[in-house]
Amino acid sequence: MKARLASATLAVTALVSGAALAQDKTLVINSFGGAYEEAHRKCVITPFEQATGASVQITTAYSADAFAQLRAQKEAPQYDVIHFSGGQEIVGAAEGLLAPIDAGKLENIGNLYDFAKANIAKGEGPAYSIAAIGLLYNSENAPEAPSSWKDVTDPAFSEHLVLTDISNGYGMLGFLMLNRVLGGDLNNIQPGLDAVAKLLDAGALVVSKSPEIQQEFAQNDAWLAPYASDYAYTLRKAGLPVKFVQGSEGTPASFITVNLVANRPNQDLALQFVDMTITKEAQECFANALRYSPTNAKAELDAEVAADMAYGEEGVKGLIRFDPPTIEANRAAWVEQWNKTIAR
Amino acid sequence: MSDRAENLLLLVPGLFLLTVAFLLPIGQMLVLSVSGPDGPTLQHFTRFLGDPFYLGLLWRTVRLSLIITVICAAIGFPLAYIMAHVGPRQRLWLVVLVILPLMTSVVIRSFGWMVLLARSGPVPELARDLGLAGRSFALMNTEAAIVIGMVQVLLPFMTLSILGVISRIDRRLEEAARTMGCGFLAAVGTVVLPLALPGIVAGSLLVFTLSASSFVTPSLLGGPRLQVLAGSIYNAVTQTLEWPFAAAQAVILFAGILLLLVPYIQLTARRHG
Repeated sequence: MKARLASATLAVTALVSGAALAQDKTLVINSFGGAYEEAHRKCVITPFEQATGASVQITTAYSADAFAQLRAQKEAPQYDVIHFSGGQEIVGAAEGLLAPIDAGKLENIGNLYDFAKANIAKGEGPAYSIAAIGLLYNSENAPEAPSSWKDVTDPAFSEHLVLTDISNGYGMLGFLMLNRVLGGDLNNIQPGLDAVAKLLDAGALVVSKSPEIQQEFAQNDAWLAPYASDYAYTLRKAGLPVKFVQGSEGTPASFITVNLVANRPNQDLALQFVDMTITKEAQECFANALRYSPTNAKAELDAEVAADMAYGEEGVKGLIRFDPPTIEANRAAWVEQWNKTIAR
Repeated sequence: MSDRAENLLLLVPGLFLLTVAFLLPIGQMLVLSVSGPDGPTLQHFTRFLGDPFYLGLLWRTVRLSLIITVICAAIGFPLAYIMAHVGPRQRLWLVVLVILPLMTSVVIRSFGWMVLLARSGPVPELARDLGLAGRSFALMNTEAAIVIGMVQVLLPFMTLSILGVISRIDRRLEEAARTMGCGFLAAVGTVVLPLALPGIVAGSLLVFTLSASSFVTPSLLGGPRLQVLAGSIYNAVTQTLEWPFAAAQAVILFAGILLLLVPYIQLTARRHG
């Protein structure tokens, strides 16, 4: 009875104050659609709305599209909080599109690994999830399980190999790793391009969107695809015999960050949202739902979940992060070279 | 109010929309396409025009659009002819059938084709079973797949444009041709087809411009290895963030379409003005 009365009072208060505060109590954010958005709602958005009484408007936009929008709206930004998975926060912060974050305003920031919050004072929001890039393979049809990045170039796989276009963030990281294993580096992507040209001649396929990877595994007898660990889990949930393995030469990682947009009126509320995103609970929830590695040191996972990802400070520290500013500086030129390499 | 003033008044909403939604953005695009870090420059145009890769994209875009337009006309004309000659009930059903593809999202429709045309999809499988194609035959990620997907989407524009014209042709003209000794095909060819030309021209303009500027269907069905110009513009805007280069590509596409369409309109208008 007491609880009911309390919630009734709360509801009335909310109604009365709601009208006046409607403007102040709405946050606009982007999410990545599909299963991600579902988990995002469950882990962060709904708890946030319940805790603060605010309402959150979600626009579905991948990192690159969201960043293009943010740039176009420079004079009148429309997002309060924006999520990126491709390192866009570094460019955004440098261009003043993102607001610096005061660590003192985030209760949970102390629990994050240091690398996940290194540049928040510059405007690069904290990383709340990490996607590891490795090898997805069909455990029933592939003649043998791959173990190293060099296996991507194994002719036995070529006709059943699915590569991802580097316009896709995960595709870019997988390609840079392949390039590195074959002797290239961030100043020289030619070894990677040469290998890709050879693989395409041998029958490999390039796709540009992740659902196409699912289709290739489901319908067209794909055996091997360099891609992210979370997607292996998505495919398994869809009933496909797909396993994830980290290449022996190392595992590149993509940081998913939550950022505060500059020049918006609701920054305190937005900061609360950022804080909610980096809690232990939210990160455990993301890991359980989608298999992303947490960056909150307090997050605890079941052994079965942890087996699917890079986990723990040691596991996460060993991940390779290709320098995002270098990627950003070269992206246009690389994409052009890549397009010319794969063009028929 | 005079007729003239009334006409002007009726024009205002259209002109306003045209200015705000078309002329202003086009102007902005033109400015953007020549903007560089150190003032106005033509470097984005020279980059495009001096590179066989981008010229290849332009050529593929124009070539595929022409093929799509011709196929749409070849299917659309007989379809419209039949629609004009059946009863109103059947006509309604045919119209619904023709515009049905427009009622699903372009992504869903394209994914449907992706399943049908994929390496182990029903269409290539059937072709292999019938002995029409070899073991490695696939339709996905080919120009043929782009053409098939685009024709399905654009056929309604062609058919309905032609239908509007054909249904107003006096039926007695055709009957006269038949009584004067023309066969069915000759009557259609010498009487109906020339009279329907304005509809075919209008439909072709729609189909050609729409197919030259679409990127979702080509990028899904053609794959990243078969880019078209609109897809390249999309990538330059959203992936590599080279907006001036994207604007330059858009201007080139715009000019390319204009260069093809103006003589086409003039030619057909002169013959049947």
